[in-house]
Amino acid sequence: MTTSLWRQHILPFCLLLGLLAAATLAGDYLLHRLNLVWVGRYLGIPGTVLIIISLIYSLRKRKVIAAGNPKSLLTFHEFSAWLGSLLVLIHAGIHFNAILPWLATVSMSVNVVSGLVGKLLLGQSRRHVQGEREDLQIRGFSKFEVEQALFWDAVTLDAMTKWRKVHIPIFIVFVILALGHIISIFLFWGWV
Amino acid sequence: MNNILKTVLAVNLIVITVLVFIYPQLMIAPGKLIPGHKQLDTDCFACHAPFSGVTPERCITCHKPADIGRLLTTGQPIAKPLTSPPFHQQLLSQDCVACHTDHAGVIRFMQQGRFNHALLQKATSVQCQNCHKPPTDSLHQQITGNCAQCHTQEKWVPTTFNHTKYFSLDGDHNTRCVTCHVRNDYSRYTCYGCHEHSPESIRREHIEEGIRNFDNCVACHRSASEHNIHGGDGKGEGEGEGEGGGEDED
Repeated sequence: MTTSLWRQHILPFCLLLGLLAAATLAGDYLLHRLNLVWVGRYLGIPGTVLIIISLIYSLRKRKVIAAGNPKSLLTFHEFSAWLGSLLVLIHAGIHFNAILPWLATVSMSVNVVSGLVGKLLLGQSRRHVQGEREDLQIRGFSKFEVEQALFWDAVTLDAMTKWRKVHIPIFIVFVILALGHIISIFLFWGWV
Repeated sequence: MNNILKTVLAVNLIVITVLVFIYPQLMIAPGKLIPGHKQLDTDCFACHAPFSGVTPERCITCHKPADIGRLLTTGQPIAKPLTSPPFHQQLLSQDCVACHTDHAGVIRFMQQGRFNHALLQKATSVQCQNCHKPPTDSLHQQITGNCAQCHTQEKWVPTTFNHTKYFSLDGDHNTRCVTCHVRNDYSRYTCYGCHEHSPESIRREHIEEGIRNFDNCVACHRSASEHNIHGGDGKGEGEGEGEGGGEDED
């Protein structure tokens, strides 16, 4: 794999994912420091609402709704899903109690990663590999030499393409597990 | 999504659902129960009413309000009660979860030290020492009861009392409370508790200045500084109690 693919695409992806982790830790730390741990208990609600709102893009993409600019909705989808995930992660608070909500948290995290793969890596990486291929061909390299030079880039791209396919199935798992958690809260918690 | 993936996901979700019903204490309960309720581990509805949470009625089934703090649910007397006398009988209403929780994970979210004293009957709420140990510092060792003079029931700190408002404890006046507040009576004070101020010396100094009413010292003197003298109708005839002190304004 060439350093350019790593530096231009995978590194920003890692940084954005790291930012999510750092923001989670910082939020959790602040809540503890300010003696506001109880606030974290309620952050699951706005987090869930933001994730639900982010699905407007998915509805638009599948033509369930006709209104809205798909590009703007995609940007909103990325932003609100990232922020919603952050709130849910702070809500989870790195405290291990019940298994079901943690499975939901893990599936959500996998979902975020697969979403970031789609956002940051896949399209740009395709363009990058195609550009490299064309460049090598113009410079007179044989087809075998081009394939050999781009071998690791192609392998990485293939892995990312498969990873992207996880996004929808793991989202369904996340929805079901999160619903289980939400139902159990409604069932057992006294809201009034 | 291919069929194999769909099947794998469906099977996993079914297994998880089954586990929720078999092991609710592991799958959905927010942490372990307190040791005393361990036998209720798998019986969530022993305490929880569907969609309304933990109701006092369910707690009272086992914990009779009249016995709380006196008898165990088994009927045995409590060897070392946490408070003496017990106070649950003096609560205005039975709202158990306002203070108590059983799950380890929920305890983490409870605001520590946030007992709502408004739940107590008036007479009980002022008997702080029944539940709270007095601080062991030199200041509080001198004081018995009547915590509300300086503290609210909302927060221990900051205190509501600002001594500087009445008299600044600067210089030689940064001394023991009982020097001025005899018998820990903070509603009164005297300035004759030290060698510096004797009734005779104070009287002489004030008469020399033509001041006859000098019973309530802090009416004019709010600090040790001789130049920091406030109003006070010192020219009038003696109206005070002749103690070189007086009653605090509050």
